[in-house]
Amino acid sequence: MHIEREQAGGDVLLKVAGRLDTPNAKPFETELMDVIATTDGAILVNLAGVDYVSSSGLRALLVAGKAMRNARRRLSLAALQPQIREVFDISGFTALFEIS
Amino acid sequence: MTVLAEMMAGLGLLFMGLAAMSTHLQQATGRKVRVLLHAATRSPVAGLVCGAVAGAATQSSNAVAVISGNLVRSGALSARDAIPVVAGGNLGTALLVFIAAIDLRLVVLYLVALAGFAVHFRLDRRPAWRDWVGVVLGLALVLLGLDFIKSAPRHMELTALAPWLATGLTPVVAFAAGLAAAGISQSSSTSAILVLALAQIGIIGLDDAFYIVLGANLGAGLSTLVASGGLEGTGRQLCYVHILVKAIGCLVLFLAWEGARLAGIDPATALLAAGHHDIAASVSFLFLALQLAGALPVALARKATERLAVALSPPTAEDHASRPRFVHEQGLGEPATALDLSQKETERLIRRLPRLLPDLDPAPGTREEDRTALWRGSAAVARAIDHFIVALIERRLPREELHVALQQQAQLEMVRALQDALHEFSDVVEAFPRTPPLAFNLSESLRTIVLSLVDALDGAPQDFEILAELTSDRSELLNRLRRNLVSGAAHGEEEARGLLHATSLFERALWLVRRIAVALRPSGNEAKRDKALAEGA
Repeated sequence: MHIEREQAGGDVLLKVAGRLDTPNAKPFETELMDVIATTDGAILVNLAGVDYVSSSGLRALLVAGKAMRNARRRLSLAALQPQIREVFDISGFTALFEIS
Repeated sequence: MTVLAEMMAGLGLLFMGLAAMSTHLQQATGRKVRVLLHAATRSPVAGLVCGAVAGAATQSSNAVAVISGNLVRSGALSARDAIPVVAGGNLGTALLVFIAAIDLRLVVLYLVALAGFAVHFRLDRRPAWRDWVGVVLGLALVLLGLDFIKSAPRHMELTALAPWLATGLTPVVAFAAGLAAAGISQSSSTSAILVLALAQIGIIGLDDAFYIVLGANLGAGLSTLVASGGLEGTGRQLCYVHILVKAIGCLVLFLAWEGARLAGIDPATALLAAGHHDIAASVSFLFLALQLAGALPVALARKATERLAVALSPPTAEDHASRPRFVHEQGLGEPATALDLSQKETERLIRRLPRLLPDLDPAPGTREEDRTALWRGSAAVARAIDHFIVALIERRLPREELHVALQQQAQLEMVRALQDALHEFSDVVEAFPRTPPLAFNLSESLRTIVLSLVDALDGAPQDFEILAELTSDRSELLNRLRRNLVSGAAHGEEEARGLLHATSLFERALWLVRRIAVALRPSGNEAKRDKALAEGA
């Protein structure tokens, strides 16, 4: 898995590529929580390069989503591949996150 | 021919009566039998007595072993405590053999009359009487069956049997005949009653009767093992205890019988003297002595018996999963604490829910057989919680606590339904030779949602809000997926059917998670208090 971080003013863009599976979920969650702790703007996660998401990956996003909601900040997801979009729809994540 | 027909009819009536008595007695006194067996934990002697009473009431040492096994599995009784109970169950069954030695024809007639009048006046339709009428009818059938068995050999043409009677049976043949009789009837007491009937009219002597009864005793023990073929772990341990009781009884009496012979005493004459020269009473004493000789050492050396039983059949994963951690009989004393205990136990079941689902990530996950054991164990724990709450409600709770108890019962029902839905969903998903992407997405999504339910148990009140959003209605999405499955050619017929089933189970599980979340969500005041505490911290 590969994560690229870009700063755009107070906001952060994270470009993620690879598999969001059990081994990669924890480093991904750590990276997200680090961004949440060190910035105070919105976060956009670009998932264009992600071709696999398991329950561990979904949970990492959910943990970050809860933290952002408590801080009254915006966490958006973008560029989901069709099979990834389907798992987000089925799991109810599309109701929880802003997806573009 | 008449003899055979009467004998078979007697056995048939006996089996029907015993089955009716056992079923109706368990329903009429089910909870009382559980309380009685629970009293067994006080000492080995108390266990032996409780087992004997239960064995006499049910007239089945197998029934006592099965009830004890369930109590052990649910954690209400330890295997060590159950050993004297199982041993005592054998003693209780000796009562039937004693009854068979007495002439009870008049009692039988009155019992049949009593049961008939009860049915005629529709007493059997009243809930409080229904099972007791069944017990009376069962008892009447048992006694009538015994009477048939005892009277059948009287019609035998003894002169035709004279040459056979003169030679008698060898001990090995008699023992094998007893083994076979118990194997067919699955009961040592029934076989002993047949022997008693044959001995009463002189077809067999006490020497032959001794070895037949010995064989029947061991045969009944061994037949338990065959009948319990599917049982494993703790359940099977008590079967081994049952066999041990029978085997030790046989060994002790065999040594005493042959020892007496070596000492120049005729054991048959001594036994006849013990029965006041009544051969039926002598066979009854022999049967009782056999049970006592096996039950006493097993009950008194229960630690060693337990070690042996555990070595022969170690506890399984299902046994471990079936043990409640918080609910137990002693906890019923204080209603407020008891309700906390049952709530904690239900929450423990909720924490297990994610493990009922397959982990489809390539990382090593839970094996299928472990999931099934966990599901079966969780179902057993749910039953134990249900019994606990029912027992609590029966104690006439104050209004407020009664309300909480009923809420917990409703919540438990939803958890049970969710356990079953997740198990069925897992079976469907794992039945695919190669997991289709939709099955993967459904499974991993459901896993995430169920894990969120577990997180919410220990999390902030806001977690329930998130859970409510995660479990919002998806009927439109799922219907679209179903339409695609039906109309598309991407899946074979079998695969499409499996996926349709999976979407239905997913939808059901989602609905149940939502309802459980609503039931668990703190009320408005509690949520404000928790939030204030969290902010204060």
